[in-house]
Amino acid sequence: MAQTALQSGVANMPDDTLEAFDISVDFEGLAAIDNVTIAMKNKEIFGLIGPNGAGKTTLVNVLTGFQKPTQGRVMLGGKDITGWAPHKLGRGGLARTFQAVRLFRDLPVVENLEVAAVGTGLGRREASKRALDILKWMDFEEKAFDQADTLPYGEERRVGIGRALAMSPRFVLLDEPAAGLSDAECDDLMGVISRIPDRFECGVLLIEHNMRVIMGVCHRIHVIDSGKTIAEGTPDEIQANPEVIRAYLGSKSEESRA
Amino acid sequence: MSDAAMDRPDTAAVRMVAVLRFFWTPIVLSLFALAVVVIVWASGDGVIARTITDALIRTVLVIGLYIFIGNSGVLAFGHIAFMLIGGYAAAWFTMSPFKKSFALELPAILANNEFPVFPSAIVAGLLPALVAAIVGIPIMRLSGIAASIATFAVLAIFYTVYSNWDSWTFGASTLVGIPIYVNMWIALAWAVFAMFVAYIYQQTKFGLALRATREDPVAARAAGINIPTQRLIAFVVSAFFMGIAGVLQAHFLGSLIVNGFWLGITFLSLAMLIIGGQRSLTGAVVGVTVVSTIVELLRQVEAGVEVGGITFELPGGFQELGLAVLIIVVLIYRPAGIMGGLEVPWPFGSNRRVLAGGFTIVRAERAPAGE
Amino acid sequence: MLQTIIQNAVDAISLGSLFALTALGIGLIFGVMRLINFAHGDFIMVGAYALIVPSAADAAMMFIGAWPAPILVISIISVLIVVALASERVAFRPLRTADPSILLITSFALSFFLQNLVLMVYSGRPKGIPLWPNLIQPILVGDIRIPQLHIITISVTLGLLILLVLFLKRTAIGIQMRAASEDFQMARLLGVRGNRVIAVAFAISGLLAAVVALLFVAQTGTLSYKMGVPLVLFAFVATVVGGMGSLSGAVLGGFVVGIASVVFQAILPADMRLNDDAWVFGLILLILLVRPTGLVAVKALQERV
Repeated sequence: MAQTALQSGVANMPDDTLEAFDISVDFEGLAAIDNVTIAMKNKEIFGLIGPNGAGKTTLVNVLTGFQKPTQGRVMLGGKDITGWAPHKLGRGGLARTFQAVRLFRDLPVVENLEVAAVGTGLGRREASKRALDILKWMDFEEKAFDQADTLPYGEERRVGIGRALAMSPRFVLLDEPAAGLSDAECDDLMGVISRIPDRFECGVLLIEHNMRVIMGVCHRIHVIDSGKTIAEGTPDEIQANPEVIRAYLGSKSEESRA
Repeated sequence: MSDAAMDRPDTAAVRMVAVLRFFWTPIVLSLFALAVVVIVWASGDGVIARTITDALIRTVLVIGLYIFIGNSGVLAFGHIAFMLIGGYAAAWFTMSPFKKSFALELPAILANNEFPVFPSAIVAGLLPALVAAIVGIPIMRLSGIAASIATFAVLAIFYTVYSNWDSWTFGASTLVGIPIYVNMWIALAWAVFAMFVAYIYQQTKFGLALRATREDPVAARAAGINIPTQRLIAFVVSAFFMGIAGVLQAHFLGSLIVNGFWLGITFLSLAMLIIGGQRSLTGAVVGVTVVSTIVELLRQVEAGVEVGGITFELPGGFQELGLAVLIIVVLIYRPAGIMGGLEVPWPFGSNRRVLAGGFTIVRAERAPAGE
Repeated sequence: MLQTIIQNAVDAISLGSLFALTALGIGLIFGVMRLINFAHGDFIMVGAYALIVPSAADAAMMFIGAWPAPILVISIISVLIVVALASERVAFRPLRTADPSILLITSFALSFFLQNLVLMVYSGRPKGIPLWPNLIQPILVGDIRIPQLHIITISVTLGLLILLVLFLKRTAIGIQMRAASEDFQMARLLGVRGNRVIAVAFAISGLLAAVVALLFVAQTGTLSYKMGVPLVLFAFVATVVGGMGSLSGAVLGGFVVGIASVVFQAILPADMRLNDDAWVFGLILLILLVRPTGLVAVKALQERV
């Protein structure tokens, strides 16, 4: 059962929400994001897809404090968190992974997770325990004490996810976790992602190009192209949506359809 | 810490081994230093004793340097400012009013008084820590290289001010008359203290958080870490020990000169840390040991070496030259330094290699290139 | 009164020119390699000492220094280009992919190496050498006496700046250098030869160092093994103030520092004047805090998330 999330002392609330209203981001006249609104709930797996350059990572950067929106608000559990610094958001329950993974290379795997737990206010000993628990849950125990930069690519990404989860987040944002993974590794990943909401009582925002993964685990999907929303709905609805099909056929992104 | 230890029965012996293992690095390093001091003391050689005392003072300095640079990855260039502040503060507190009256014009409370050496040392160490706290607040917000430059600016400012502050520092002249009491044992005590503090700091969540910022500041922020705050903590603790090194230096030589706290010692202390390996405490200590030994050898050669009846003497400057070449060689061929980021290995069991966080690595081969 | 102001202004601009040229030398290399070459000041020092090689006598005798001006200038420039290229090859090329702080320490070590090498050969005592002493003679512009040397310094600097701008904008290798400064990896992928671009940067840096060496020695008439230190420190300050990674920033910073130096010296009351060096460093500290990227921010240095 999902004990560890509760062990941290603060239970994640079942009606927790992460919302972004009318977000726009301008880069020197170019609108990277244009009036996008997103709302997701606790324990939901929410997908964000779109052709390359659509603005997905920029949106994640806005949600996690690495990019100030030119306009719009971000709300976590009803509280306005627009413009908060990344570390403050991390402590507030918003965790993320990076496309480039960005592990702490010189540190052992378990310390990578410990850092995140410490970042949310835990002492070293509890952080260590939480880190090992998560690694055990991810079937990654044997490599816990290996130095992070000795890991092969696929395992690196897994540790990145573990690190985000070590923050006992209310919402975890995964930025292209399946990039470069083989089909078998994708299946593993899908298994991990689908178990996250129950185990950690949190919501998952998943950015991906890999359609198999998206269609396989998401409850709802939001599609953006050139910074604008073009559709939102369940996997079935999105697959059948003509706008979405047009956006993808018109671009050069490489993904496998489910 | 260690998962294996959790399975064994919790007897006193097991707990003792766990403590021994936890503090293994500073224990071994302290014993090493102690052994050196005892041997030299027993030999009765006063000259070598002075060299060792000097090396131990440098140990305090370089450990102070390591606490900040090793954990934060920010190459602070101006740290000697703290040594300068600490050294002169020690003089202000402990010199007799009579001796002060020759060279200095201090405010009455300092000019007419002479305070006991130990409390003075502590306060003289806290003063640079206070300065570090103040200048650190804005500086720690800067990016790595800008912060390095900014710390250098702080050193330059203090150096220039102290060089001209005739009434408090005797300007560019040598200030003499400071009580001399630092011998090998006292320097050793402070060095051991520094080792334990540095080690404990790096085991705490603060040390861990700071190391994460060194590895990847972006990911560290995302993980909830406030980078300027963590850097500031290390900066202040580091400044304390560098101040203490200045205090020890003052009470060892009995004199101070502002020019001794400028580029030469900056370079030497950085060289020691880098050659030893800037990412571990053992690296700092090894660096001091190795470089001090080499410098001593070069000094002997500079003074004149007899080979087959002919004396070879090398001109002044050879020491620094040799050191400069050495550091360039180390940086090219072994940039992680002699220890390469590792601490003293635990000799029992299969997990022998110890990183700064205290964890052992099971497998250490890198993944094959082609990432 | 106007006389003093103009004289001071010329002083300031002349000093600023020297700093600007030195800062350019540092900035060029920083641009292509992210290396802050602390040894640049010592390149200048070596160039100055090259005037008296091979005379190690106490009363220095000019050797190259006694040659006719054009040959002298070309010789010193050649010497420093060789020194700069050798430094790059031996000390910096193996470390090209290292952390900027490691590069900084290496340049520091190189600086120490050069200083102590000269110390060993020439001893620590400063030497007086007369280089073009007639240039100190002032010329009269109306009521104002301006040393010829100042005018030469300023015009040479302007000339070099113009040449450099033309070089960077119009020649193939110059454009490649600018590309490499923006994004080294990308430039290499596009066919720019990394080694060549860096070598050219060092060579130009050596040339600039030589010019500064000659002007500086003509002005002060002395050689000392530590003479490069204040130059590189102030030039370093200038680069930071102007914005690391920007050549125009380096030049701007050089003039700002030169002017600030003279201004502080002129306006501060006598007893505080001795601390004018501290004021200059205090200035950079302030600038760094207010605008950490310097006066001319460079996008290329900002990290993408």
